[in-house]
Amino acid sequence: MSPETLEPQQWVENYADMMYRFTLVRVKDPEAAEELVQATFFAALKSQYTFAGKSSEKTWLFGILKHKTMDYFRSGEKHISIDLTSTEDADRISFDATGHMTPKPASWNMNPEKAAENSALAKVLAKCLSGLPEKLHKLFVLKEIDGLSSEEICKEFNIKPTNLWVILHRTRNQLKLCLESNWLNTKLRFL
Amino acid sequence: MIDGMLKALKVTCQDVYPLISETQDHPLPFFSRMRLKMHLAICELCHIYRKQLEIICKMAQSLGKDDSKAFEETSLKPEVKEKIQKWIAEKT
Repeated sequence: MSPETLEPQQWVENYADMMYRFTLVRVKDPEAAEELVQATFFAALKSQYTFAGKSSEKTWLFGILKHKTMDYFRSGEKHISIDLTSTEDADRISFDATGHMTPKPASWNMNPEKAAENSALAKVLAKCLSGLPEKLHKLFVLKEIDGLSSEEICKEFNIKPTNLWVILHRTRNQLKLCLESNWLNTKLRFL
Repeated sequence: MIDGMLKALKVTCQDVYPLISETQDHPLPFFSRMRLKMHLAICELCHIYRKQLEIICKMAQSLGKDDSKAFEETSLKPEVKEKIQKWIAEKT
């Protein structure tokens, strides 16, 4: 296939919002997200003649965007160190004297597949995500949203695996508590 | 060996609950896996917790897709769009 299969004139209309939203999920800073989208279109324009037509235009553009986003993550701290004793990143789940969680976790009464399709819930999770400290946010995004392996993340950011596991565990707990306080309170609205 | 087995039998939620998260990050070592399995067999609360993490995981995956509804009301600023459109017009 030839480069003619790209239609740059239509890019903004067809993909700009989609790409911006896609980036907003991954980076906390809206300005950074905006710049990443611009940089992606700029790079795509410059390299449009290398487009081999092996993938769709959309896949190709998103591929560039993903690369740019990863570069942005890399340009942050080279060595992510987390103070596991700091209160900011602390484990917020409590236990009673017998080692049971307190308060007791209550069932969310939700099927994971159904939850994933619920757009109101997606908004709450996005809000909870953006409330995470920068480092936790980045690692969670790479692990759970972009699906990188623990090994890849540890290598990229020079983290010990045990440290990463603790960080992810605490991040998931923070998200769980945030979802409970922001969503369970308003749950009736969604049902 | 016997020590490990005894340890596996006597665990609280507090002992094993980080393992529930860790199962998403790496294959657990044999004894940890066993402790978790035995604990989950008797602990309803940790089952609930595990389900919650599973929901978060699935939701996060869905959030990352290009058709996620998380920011459906948000758009790229019109002036930025115009700027990009102008570049494109110049370069094509």
